[in-house]
Amino acid sequence: MDMAKYRVLFLEEATEHLSEISSALLDLEKEMTNSEAIDLIFRMAHSIKGMAASLDYVPIAEVSHRLEDRMQGIRAAGCVSSPAELALLFRGFESIEAMVRAVRDGQDLVPDPEIAEILSAPVAPVAPVDAANAPERANPQEAKKKLQDLTPVLEPSPSQTH
Amino acid sequence: MARILVADDASFMRQMIREIVESEGFEVCGEASDGIEAIDEFKRLHPDIVTMDIVMPRKSGIDAVRGIIEIDPGATIVMCSALGQEALVTEAMQAGAKDFIVKPFKPECVIETIQKALEKEV
Repeated sequence: MDMAKYRVLFLEEATEHLSEISSALLDLEKEMTNSEAIDLIFRMAHSIKGMAASLDYVPIAEVSHRLEDRMQGIRAAGCVSSPAELALLFRGFESIEAMVRAVRDGQDLVPDPEIAEILSAPVAPVAPVDAANAPERANPQEAKKKLQDLTPVLEPSPSQTH
Repeated sequence: MARILVADDASFMRQMIREIVESEGFEVCGEASDGIEAIDEFKRLHPDIVTMDIVMPRKSGIDAVRGIIEIDPGATIVMCSALGQEALVTEAMQAGAKDFIVKPFKPECVIETIQKALEKEV
């Protein structure tokens, strides 16, 4: 199989999916019961996981898997439990986005040792929100800009082919 | 040679399955990117076998299996699943799917599963 071709396809689709996840997270920020946004993030994380696993991008597959699992729980519950949980989702998104960028740039994939564990951890309902102590998350505008930087997809780098 | 309908919302996965099965001489007669399209394309193309992703927009792969089996109870459908989806695979098999393949795809497993599913049909 011509894996360079699949690397390009991965970058195209993962970038689109990340853009959709970013928009859905912003929707969830406004309305934490937005079932369409919840479902979309679940499906996009699942899709990125499958593609990444096919290309042996194990750290991307791992974080996507955790994000997918977390979204499955949120889907079952019908809502994001708290702003703290939403911040975790942003953190997972950021981690995947950074790794996809590393693939695009031909860099080695560096696993984020914390993120898989963080995404798997239970989040206690928090009310009221303590913004000062909430986990740090991406600035949505900054995240959007990073995504724009990912396109157009560059030509495959020989060092990234398997 | 058997005609295959490939249903998956990821173009990446559709192309990968296409490449694997065409290398063994199968014909991909159509592609679908969601469950509703899978049912519509099944009606239109009457494929010998369908490879069906589980997680898809608009209508899930499991609901698409139910829709296709309603049209043709003898339809041959193979699910494409990921690790950790065992419960969903069981549900799909109960709905009428014949077998399943696990992502990431191993070409020899994909071909073997499709061939076995087609033999079951005979």
